Amino acid sequence: MTLEIQNVSKKYNRNKYGLKDFSITIEKGILGLLGPNGAGKSTLLKMIATVSKPTQGVIILNKNNILKDANYMRKQLGFLPQDFGVYPNLNAFEFLEYIAAMKGIGGSNLKSKIEQLLDGLNLLDAAKKPIGSYSGGMKQRVGIAQALLNDPKIVIFDEPTVGLDPEERVRFRNLISDLAQDCIVILSSHIVSDIDTIADQVAVMKNGSLLSYGDQEKLIAHVDQKVFSIIIDKEQLTNFKNNQIVVSTSRKEGMLNVRYISETPKEHSIPEQANLEDAYLYLTKTN
Amino acid sequence: MKSFLSTIKFDYLQRTRTYSFLITLCISLAVAYTFVPEPNASYSTIRISDYVGYYNSAWFGYVTAIMTSVFLSLVGFYLVNSSIKTDQVTKIGQITAATPASNFRYLLSKVFSNFLILSTIVFIIFIMSIILFFLYNEGFPFELSQFIVPYLLIPIPAMFFIAVLAVVFEVLFKKYSVIQNIGFFFLFSATVFSTSPNEIQYVLDPFGTKIVMHQMEESVKNILQVDEQTNLSIGYVLGNVQKPKKFEFNGISFPLSFLISRIAWILLGTILIVCISPFFHRFNTKDRPKITSTIPKFFNKKEGKEIVLSNLYQSEIDYGIFSLVKTELMLLFRKGKRWLWAINLIGMVLLAITPVEIAYPLILPILWFLQVHRLSEISSKEIYHNVHYFAFSSHKPLGRLLTSQIIAGIAIILFLATPLLIRLIITQDFSSVGYIITGSVFIVLLASALGILTKGKKLFEILFFMITYANINKIPFADYFGGLIHSSNYIISLIIVTITLGTIGFLTRRYQLRK
Repeated sequence: MTLEIQNVSKKYNRNKYGLKDFSITIEKGILGLLGPNGAGKSTLLKMIATVSKPTQGVIILNKNNILKDANYMRKQLGFLPQDFGVYPNLNAFEFLEYIAAMKGIGGSNLKSKIEQLLDGLNLLDAAKKPIGSYSGGMKQRVGIAQALLNDPKIVIFDEPTVGLDPEERVRFRNLISDLAQDCIVILSSHIVSDIDTIADQVAVMKNGSLLSYGDQEKLIAHVDQKVFSIIIDKEQLTNFKNNQIVVSTSRKEGMLNVRYISETPKEHSIPEQANLEDAYLYLTKTN
Repeated sequence: MKSFLSTIKFDYLQRTRTYSFLITLCISLAVAYTFVPEPNASYSTIRISDYVGYYNSAWFGYVTAIMTSVFLSLVGFYLVNSSIKTDQVTKIGQITAATPASNFRYLLSKVFSNFLILSTIVFIIFIMSIILFFLYNEGFPFELSQFIVPYLLIPIPAMFFIAVLAVVFEVLFKKYSVIQNIGFFFLFSATVFSTSPNEIQYVLDPFGTKIVMHQMEESVKNILQVDEQTNLSIGYVLGNVQKPKKFEFNGISFPLSFLISRIAWILLGTILIVCISPFFHRFNTKDRPKITSTIPKFFNKKEGKEIVLSNLYQSEIDYGIFSLVKTELMLLFRKGKRWLWAINLIGMVLLAITPVEIAYPLILPILWFLQVHRLSEISSKEIYHNVHYFAFSSHKPLGRLLTSQIIAGIAIILFLATPLLIRLIITQDFSSVGYIITGSVFIVLLASALGILTKGKKLFEILFFMITYANINKIPFADYFGGLIHSSNYIISLIIVTITLGTIGFLTRRYQLRK
């Protein structure tokens, strides 16, 4: 299973691009899409999900151009949009039945499958209540359930962990890892910790362009031997931030322990082990 | 003060920068074009017995001002009566509620914003009235004051009062939109149709039209040399084969009491807002069903279960639309409060027991209109509820989902008409049955097409209201269900319009999906 995105652009007007000449080839496994707000992650995901069309380029799934044959993608797609709604007067069970009907899924096992999904997402107790009464996290789990209804081969999760509590996040990560055995899973987030523990490949985006793509080691190599920490006065922080890429700060005995990225470290700095967050910040701040 | 004005300005900009408002303006222009009939037209708008005025500036100014005041008061209410609800849906309301802005200030800003919207439409009609004057000019001089004065004194204060009423109804009846719609309709009808020509009536007339109409009647009475009531008609009267006689109308000199009353209506509106301010929910609503019984269970979950993919049942392909139709029907049935179905049942009983002459042309259109909140969202609810990502990435959303929505809509509309249909079948009046079925398809496709075109429900709500109002007043060209006219030409035209609506809806949705 291969998903090829070739020279895809989304142009809003003469000067404004949502996505610019974007190319990437995705194989089975988990692709983590990282980028600040407005990087073009959701634009890209909507185009893969056939909800939006590029102004240029092609998207090919297993040698089928999905821009010409959207239903080829839709038949095997599970999509959780970033900002989705529900029909508040339906309960979770009915809503999932409705989505299943839209996807062209039915048969005698459908009800059992919905029950399995709701049970697995700890929603079975509330399944007969109107979704309008659900909390944000519960709605998010209904969204996850609908994405799995049709045994998808391509699963797209756009900012999926919004509203989930820490325990649910862990379970969700397990689910994604499980899915990735047989599917292409594309997971977007601007929170690095959502991606770094599970993604096989990571793509970093900014302003509609691809900054870097590869496995985590390849990305981290960008900041190899460039990450340091130093203890400074609080008063020095503003000036320090103007000259260095600061990753994080923490208080230490009235002083500040600053983790930063630099090619020419300050005196008394201690070298640190680089991680994905360092690489992400470095790529997005220097491009 | 500056921040108050900014609130109004940006609310106004937000509401006018929509496609549906643009369409509303276009429709307003088209309607305004008909306010003064073309000299050889076979319809009239304002006519006193066999008389209409010479086509001078005063006639154009006053007639269009009266027509604007009456029709825009009626339609305008429905155009602006969801400004608070919109803030609730967009979740701006909660942010506003957390600011120091008082209830009164917030509600007054909504009144002014409503007023600006309605005034924009009045302005468009005002311009159209001047264009019409030059178009149909019969050699009379152009007098700008004959346009400005009636517009300033008739529709403008009326629009302010309507803007106030829209907010008052929304605050008092919150989410009971049916009560808002029906309540205003009765209030409007009671105000418009109470007539006795005296100065107190003029002062008490919020629409400001009665004084002008009575002055016109007096002018005609003087020509006819009679004292009894003349036959004054306002609204669209079709089929005038007889060419009207002309009388000279040069505007009126408004008495001081009338001028003061216009300001008094504006003040009264403001006082009304002061009075209802304490009752405003300030977005602390109980729209969401109680979740107290759900949450403890959720938090007391004994174990954190997980989905085991390998244990899940395999999905089976089923591209039929039965399940979709079933859920669409469920959504339609559950829309709105349950007790509203009691009203529908009463309507159905009336369809069964009242004489067919009343049930068919009167009760049926009203009963169908009561479903306006169901139909108006029929093909735009995906966008309204933000479910469109699911809907538009589903399997063949055009052929399956849209078709299901239309089938469900027709089914529910026909279900409501069942008692009448059975009676007509028993009496072998199959042409009426055909008309009713065509009418049900027409109204559902109209709702669907307008919902798809505007991505909202407002335009359909207003149009459906106008059509029903015209049905009740027996205006033939609005008869979409055969309540007044039975002719093969008419039903063919209706079928063609219905097919066109369906085609527009399908093509537009296809375009939206491709785009």
